Amino acid sequence: MEKFRWTWAVRVLVGGVLGFLFSIVLVSYIVGTRGPSPATCLLCTALGAVIGAATLPFADDGRALLLRSAVHFGVTATLFVLLAAQLGARGGELLAWLAILALVYAVIWLGRWVGWYVEVMQLRSLLGLSPGPSPLKWRETLPYLAFALLLCDGLPLLLRWADHAVSADVPVLSGLLLPYILLPVAGFSSGLSLGKRQGVCPLYPVGCFLCYLPMVFLLFNSSAMFHCFMVAVPALAGNVLGWLYRRAVPKEKT
Amino acid sequence: MEVEIRTEPGRQEPKIVILAGEESEELRRLADSLSRLALGPIPVGRGEEKLLLPQGDFLRFYADGKGVSAQTAGESYTVPLRLYELEERLDAARFVRISNGEIVNLERVTAVDLSLSGTICMTLDGTVKAYVSRRYMKKIKETLHLGGRNPRGKV
Repeated sequence: MEKFRWTWAVRVLVGGVLGFLFSIVLVSYIVGTRGPSPATCLLCTALGAVIGAATLPFADDGRALLLRSAVHFGVTATLFVLLAAQLGARGGELLAWLAILALVYAVIWLGRWVGWYVEVMQLRSLLGLSPGPSPLKWRETLPYLAFALLLCDGLPLLLRWADHAVSADVPVLSGLLLPYILLPVAGFSSGLSLGKRQGVCPLYPVGCFLCYLPMVFLLFNSSAMFHCFMVAVPALAGNVLGWLYRRAVPKEKT
Repeated sequence: MEVEIRTEPGRQEPKIVILAGEESEELRRLADSLSRLALGPIPVGRGEEKLLLPQGDFLRFYADGKGVSAQTAGESYTVPLRLYELEERLDAARFVRISNGEIVNLERVTAVDLSLSGTICMTLDGTVKAYVSRRYMKKIKETLHLGGRNPRGKV
């Protein structure tokens, strides 16, 4: 236990020193001032120390892991936002930096989880059990991705073409019917079906979102960005509902 | 290889004799692994009653705050031994410690699941849940490798 504490103390110290050096060397270069302010130095040192302890939450599991991760993210985000504000970021820019930090955090967390899952798959195989679903059920999601491609790419192209073909003043099909009826209903239904068959598949709503994204810029413009959410959110809701149904009504054994 | 079992009334511990034309490295390895097998029954208690149960009957041994308990498919018993003492007595190829307070029978594991929060849950005999500490994962895998276990259903 003593050794464990020392290891973490050293990591925090090294992180703090590197953060301080970062503030001296890089902040001056990035911001273009002669030298960093004492507040910037302090924030960089504290942020470095916190990053040094970044793997600490993963030492445990269950509730302790979630709690430690949340606390670590909270402290990191606070220091990061304060530093960004100190360096001149304001309003939307601050939020954008915070979103990037959250994304990095999510990717690291996901990577760690996939690592654990691979370990569990090895354990299952050593025990002679079936290997179970693929990480984040990506393999189980693949058949539904073909439908997502048709819904999010094929259908918008077809409806846009139909709108142009009839030379309508208002693009009823691609501008109204698609985002407000077809995308939510089809997204929800397919998510529900996937949830009932495979349980929660978090990659499906993400896949729907990413499949639609090129269409926003190819057929519409950035104001149609909400179309992505009109398919991804119902797909997520349907998937969770399908999973709840699956849990409540177990499959009959034949 | 012929395998023969003879019962001897009154014998406490089983004895294995290998008959061969000459000694070989393979035979020595076989004798070595057989001598490491712990087959002795485990003393347990149920109220006032004291029992000796064969190791294969147990699903798990766990610390319950007051002492150590053992769970079989149908019942729970108290065990007059500490977990580390049990570890020495139990068949090391079959029983493994999965956390500070729990030893499970790997042959009775029917499912292993990982939650989103990183908790690894082992299901024993389809009903009993046991939670694996990730600190013990390496040791569990080593035990399974050393045991040279055959995947179930495969010969």
